[in-house]
Amino acid sequence: MIFDALNDTRVVDLTHYIAGPYATRLLAQLGAEIIKVEPPQGEGGRRLGPFHDAVATDTAHIDRGALFAFLNADKLGVTLNLKHPRARELLCHLLATADLLVENFVPGTLARLGLDPALLLDRFPKLSIVSISNFGQDGPDRDSPLNDIVLAARGGWTYAVGDPAREPLSPPGSLAQYVGAVYAAIGGLQALLARDLGHGRGQHVDISLLEATVATMIYDTVTFQYTGIVRERAGKRYAVGPFLLVTVRCRDGYAGLHCVSDLQFQSLFAMMGRPELAADEKFSRAIARMANNDELLAIVEEFFARHDADWLYAQGRARAIPIVPIPTAAQVLEWEQLKARSYFETIDDPVLGKLRVPGGPLRFTSNRPAPSRPAPRLGEHNRIVLGDRLGLATDELARLRAEGVV
Amino acid sequence: MSIAAGLEKIRALDLSMGWAGPLVTEMLAEMGVQVIKVEDTRNFDWWRGSLSMGPPEMQPVERSSVFNTANRGKLGLTLDLSRPEGVAILKRLAAASDILVENFSPGTIGRLGLGWPELSALNPRLIMISLPAFGSEGPESNARGYGMTIEAMAGVTALTAYHDGGAPYMLSNALGDPVSGLHGMLAVLAALHQRARTGRGQLVEVAEVETVVPFVTGALLEYQLSGRTPIPLGNRHSTAAPHGIFRCADDTFIALGVHNEDHWRALTDALELSHLAEDPRFASADARKHNEDALEAELRPAILRLGADAAASRLIAAGVPAGQVNSSADVLADRQIGARSFFVPIDRAVVGTHLYPGAIARLSATPLDAGRPSPMLGEHNESVLREMLAMSDAEIARLAEDGIIGSHPRSRP
Repeated sequence: MIFDALNDTRVVDLTHYIAGPYATRLLAQLGAEIIKVEPPQGEGGRRLGPFHDAVATDTAHIDRGALFAFLNADKLGVTLNLKHPRARELLCHLLATADLLVENFVPGTLARLGLDPALLLDRFPKLSIVSISNFGQDGPDRDSPLNDIVLAARGGWTYAVGDPAREPLSPPGSLAQYVGAVYAAIGGLQALLARDLGHGRGQHVDISLLEATVATMIYDTVTFQYTGIVRERAGKRYAVGPFLLVTVRCRDGYAGLHCVSDLQFQSLFAMMGRPELAADEKFSRAIARMANNDELLAIVEEFFARHDADWLYAQGRARAIPIVPIPTAAQVLEWEQLKARSYFETIDDPVLGKLRVPGGPLRFTSNRPAPSRPAPRLGEHNRIVLGDRLGLATDELARLRAEGVV
Repeated sequence: MSIAAGLEKIRALDLSMGWAGPLVTEMLAEMGVQVIKVEDTRNFDWWRGSLSMGPPEMQPVERSSVFNTANRGKLGLTLDLSRPEGVAILKRLAAASDILVENFSPGTIGRLGLGWPELSALNPRLIMISLPAFGSEGPESNARGYGMTIEAMAGVTALTAYHDGGAPYMLSNALGDPVSGLHGMLAVLAALHQRARTGRGQLVEVAEVETVVPFVTGALLEYQLSGRTPIPLGNRHSTAAPHGIFRCADDTFIALGVHNEDHWRALTDALELSHLAEDPRFASADARKHNEDALEAELRPAILRLGADAAASRLIAAGVPAGQVNSSADVLADRQIGARSFFVPIDRAVVGTHLYPGAIARLSATPLDAGRPSPMLGEHNESVLREMLAMSDAEIARLAEDGIIGSHPRSRP
């Protein structure tokens, strides 16, 4: 879904894989025009799974990972081999009318290509540059390799997750990269706002995925300084304290419980048919619940084991107790609440067919959103962007293609 | 030059509590926006904790590490919104503000007479950010949501389990809270941009669960393309091996992943396991994945001999993605985090000086400022009411007498 808040904003997108493309996807959903510039062989994200079973073995279609189709919807696709001077010249033509350049190369790459951010900012005073990197643009580990499991581990997300008796459990997938992507989109808009409100010029925005991860670890770093306590793995409990934040086995699977306040515990005890526990001095007050947490959990586990997740969820809703089922991907796609809000939209991808994807995380009320367009095929908009807009003649475009520039 | 000119003229009212909503206005405060955090002396931000956490002279609600982090740079105002006088003052503040952030349960703000129709009529330039858990409409719009429930309902939790089965685990950071807060900030900035063009504000709804679902789109697509429910991979990876978390000598852990032949050669060199490099069971990416249990069994003792720091340093130097599984204390000591001075010291009343996480976006020309303290309850009552609403000392004194404002927390009714 595309809103029109940023419909006067143009972004040149040099990003690849996940964090960069999701940052510009967010800007696209806010209405910005995104010109995605890829090398002639395509960016690596095209070859990330999941693949359609029929496509995965078809080498002609191997550049069509489904995640790419989601992350790059609503972008114009252009190819440029930036190692070639003519390609860099064309890129600069695009930058001349752009508000933002977003990139997630290894730090120093732009400078090596003769596109040093400081020079670009000098040449294009209205332009801001958002650089997303693993560790930031400086520091001793700037050039070190990183992947998702290391990012979450080093950024502090992993340490307290999992079974205390075994190794910590990493958060799944690329969650921390997505968090960094949102920070990057914010950083880009902060630079635009500063420009438009009085600074007058663009600037460079340096986003470190590691720092974005640290910033979203619920401030355990500050709590440690206040209390001297390091939060340890607490098993199925998300944390130990005067509350119950747990996953609990129920009759048909697992459910989550997030019980914090006196009132919630009173409602929970009533739901379990044990209202007398609310008056029990072991459980009536927060400090007592902290001391008697194991006993409290055992009572809850015994009850949950006798009931189905959906029943517990419905009871929780009726009684304002935060109880949740733990839906699978299939169940998320079929969740009535999201359906009622028309949350998912269908992208008719030219290669993969119809894909149901999240339609967008924000609901602006000033205009009705437009539907998303499929992600570009490699170089799909070369003619429109390089030809029509930059004025390259058809024969010149053909020549540049032959020379490997586009 | 630090904060961009013009931003200090923008004013935001923060009616939210916990993490998600306060994170929006904390990031606005970093930019130099004037943020007024509105609490009530009874119904104060739950992240302050509760009065029962300590005797009154210890000022327990001023000692919360999470509150004191999420509300930096804001002005503290109290208003009793259960009484008409309090609501009337809030309306006057909203008429003079640019942004209002709220995360009450759906319907609550309307019952207070502070819903979008009322406020936008008062101030057409107002931008209102509403952060309901599941959205303001739909069959479950009234359901309670917290960071943890959002994470589960978005499909994250079903994917968070060890590869060999067992219960799902919740993450340690209430993922739904910061993620929805970040999206609230994105919404504010986009709406400010649009307002510069149209002259009008708007309501933006940020349904918390809807901000997290996109992060698991890979799993949603895998199910659609294969018809199979994605199974949790734990610390493993769908194609790469080895990929996991390994115990080190000092009872710490490192994470590592081998994604190509260069990584594999570097790993075997760095850990002095040249015999594994020759082993036909591990001769290709497919072979390593196929024999992953055996491979992990070979690696475990080799890594267990080393301290986490030594293991991580060796692997990183060799070019393998690797790093210590950092505790909160380790994060504070991380050399890369330290070299970039990510944490900033702040002297906060009652608790003294500590390090707080800095701003993420490093803006070269108009840097953000995450180094101002969080407000005490009602700390800025007088200055806000005097400067924003031109109230006299006598009026302010009367409000204090009537209990509409105050700076002493009271027990919840």
